[in-house]
Amino acid sequence: MSYLSTTDFTEDPGFVDRFRRTMKGDLELSWMDVPRERVRCRPQNERRGLTFRDLDVGSYGFTEMPELIRQNRSFAPRGAVQPPGLPDLQAEVNRKSEVWAYNIEGYYEEAMTRQWNATTDIPWAELQDTALPEDIGKAYAQLLTFLTEVEMIATDVPAKWMGRLNADFFEVKNFIATQAMDEARHAEIFRKRALSTGWGLMRASSHNEFNLKFLRDADSFAEASLALHLQAEGMVLTLFRFSEYISPTEGDKKLFRLVMQDEARHVGYGMQHLKWVLDHFPEKRELIHHHLDEAENFVFGAGYATEVLEPFIILSGKGLKKENVAEGARITMAFQVKQTEEYFERLAKCGLPERRERSRLWRMFELQKQQMGLPTQ
Amino acid sequence: MEADRESGHAARGGSRAGAELGASEARRARSARALDGPSEVVAYYAEKDFFEDDELIQLVTSILEGNLTLDWYRVETPRVHARPADPGRGLTYEDCNLGPYGYDAIPEFLRDRYSMASRGSALLAKLPDLGYTINRRSDVWADNVAALYEEAKARRWAPAVDIPWGELDVAADPLREAAMAQACTLLEEVALVAMEVPSRWVFSINQEFLELKSFLCAQMIDEARHVEACRKRALVSGQGLGRASVSAEQALKELLSAETYPEASLATNLLLGSFVLAMYRALAAVSQARADRLLATLSMQDVARSVAYGVAHMRYHIEHQPGKAVALADYLDRSEHTVLGIAGTPEFLEPLVLLAAGSRAPAALARGAAFARRWFAGALGEYQERCGAAGLGDRRERSRLPRIAASLAG
Repeated sequence: MSYLSTTDFTEDPGFVDRFRRTMKGDLELSWMDVPRERVRCRPQNERRGLTFRDLDVGSYGFTEMPELIRQNRSFAPRGAVQPPGLPDLQAEVNRKSEVWAYNIEGYYEEAMTRQWNATTDIPWAELQDTALPEDIGKAYAQLLTFLTEVEMIATDVPAKWMGRLNADFFEVKNFIATQAMDEARHAEIFRKRALSTGWGLMRASSHNEFNLKFLRDADSFAEASLALHLQAEGMVLTLFRFSEYISPTEGDKKLFRLVMQDEARHVGYGMQHLKWVLDHFPEKRELIHHHLDEAENFVFGAGYATEVLEPFIILSGKGLKKENVAEGARITMAFQVKQTEEYFERLAKCGLPERRERSRLWRMFELQKQQMGLPTQ
Repeated sequence: MEADRESGHAARGGSRAGAELGASEARRARSARALDGPSEVVAYYAEKDFFEDDELIQLVTSILEGNLTLDWYRVETPRVHARPADPGRGLTYEDCNLGPYGYDAIPEFLRDRYSMASRGSALLAKLPDLGYTINRRSDVWADNVAALYEEAKARRWAPAVDIPWGELDVAADPLREAAMAQACTLLEEVALVAMEVPSRWVFSINQEFLELKSFLCAQMIDEARHVEACRKRALVSGQGLGRASVSAEQALKELLSAETYPEASLATNLLLGSFVLAMYRALAAVSQARADRLLATLSMQDVARSVAYGVAHMRYHIEHQPGKAVALADYLDRSEHTVLGIAGTPEFLEPLVLLAAGSRAPAALARGAAFARRWFAGALGEYQERCGAAGLGDRRERSRLPRIAASLAG
């Protein structure tokens, strides 16, 4: 037996009597006169409609929310009158800087207005008309198999944390809900595209699965977000951009543009969250570095994921012939350089510029650039 | 695994200890140790230090020199060509229900799939166990779940822009606005819980049930939308948010803490969903502004999907596990009282009577109360019909709610 309400309402004479009196029109209306902050929020910009930013007023808003939530442990909406007797919902995360991000309300509103539909927003009929040669078709189906395999980690992990966050952080919870939907859509679109190529799904990726396990088992929301939103999704964002570039058809390019806009939002949240953590909870800096040490170990180990690396080479070089593979390898190395550079740039922008000095991934990256004859730092 | 979780809790505790402002130096020192202790801050490590792995360097170097392994290229998975059955509708999950890739092929028991490998893809011998605890199809499945997911995407809306907020004349009738603000405060509380229920379970549900998990994600965003819409409606009223409801929150906590997924689904989709659907329908009926009607009717269409899933899920569950019908009926015997604590709380019922009445004059209140009585009886009747359709038997004989509803007539 799990939690039971303090009252069985059907057996509570006082509650049932009150219910019956109300149903006869005998109202107490005690809620009406309770002192509260009476505000009238309006859209600041009619074209954008009424946003959460427009609701950032007094005790209802997020700006005045304290760092530590000591008062509300229930589902009482932030700013609502809290009568005695509200239950304790056992929130585990009650510190704002564990979850908050600059512009969280903006990311949420953007997510709500930019939802799209994988079923109807892709020109599936056009894609049917394009037969892919075997090498391209198989390589593309394998890349899509990898993508559909990993997308929903970014549903499961934030969802796992949603219920642990204090209800006062509802803007973050709402953002998590939008991300869950975004990722479901991504898993859907990559799966549908793989199954429409004529090749079906290809092979699961062992190395990537172990990386997913690492992402699932993070010990705190801040660490989970760091590894998921900033590191993993950041790298996937670069992958999407290159995938658009190497996509075999215009319909596929559109597919990647759509998923990119969602992914960029998730990375944006990850960056603004890390920035918020470093600004408001500086004691976390060492823990962040430690978590990144292991996250980057997985990134470096991704070389074992031949299910990703090799299709990328074939798609980049547009075939399996020797000259195609050579060209594909050149483009893939350029992609890897870009991916790693962007990752460290994001960390620096968030306030973690020293990561480069500490990171073994950065040192290996510099070595790779030397071998490629590229300028190093 | 359990040891990992234990260390995780220790790390979280340490982080929080360090977080508390005004903590003693000793506590700060303990916290710092917890933050620095490597074994306490990462729950799962890779099996290798890849930076020290010469085999990896050789493999990647060889591939980038043009020597592809192409192991994956040689897998023989079924070749299919999913096509839209109706191009006007696009490519649906139903169109992709093909052979071993399809949801019809999911077995009742998933014994050998604990990773996120995509259903139907070629599996390798070495894949990790991601810790799923819900691995039985009939614990989660419903025949309409793929279609409901498709509908959820097609019927998306955004409260910020799809409600004509500017049309609301909130100064015209302060009494109505106060009632609306209070009703929406209660509905925001309900939506916060309804958003959390799917989020609690999705992490534990096997990835093979992709369409079902995707529907749970759609439920999350639906409820996020209701949190947003109700909060915004309350805060444009000029009245501020109203009072949280003790009875509703006690009841919601009971529903939220259901011990199994079938119980959680029955509690929130079928039981709570039936009454919340009725609550939004009542708000639509008493609305005088287009904005309020839209808020209520758009929310209704979202909640109706959850109810439809709840009915179909229970039907599927009981068809495949008939022995569970007794336990679920017993669960309802214990839990049905919660909807009285939610829909019957003064923080919702009194505003509803006021909105239906239009004024505090005794004759108007009598009309409003008559509306509320009809509303409650109708909601209860619909809920009981759904229980019957789901295979949960005739609840009219067994439930305590009809007795309370009947007493209202006297």
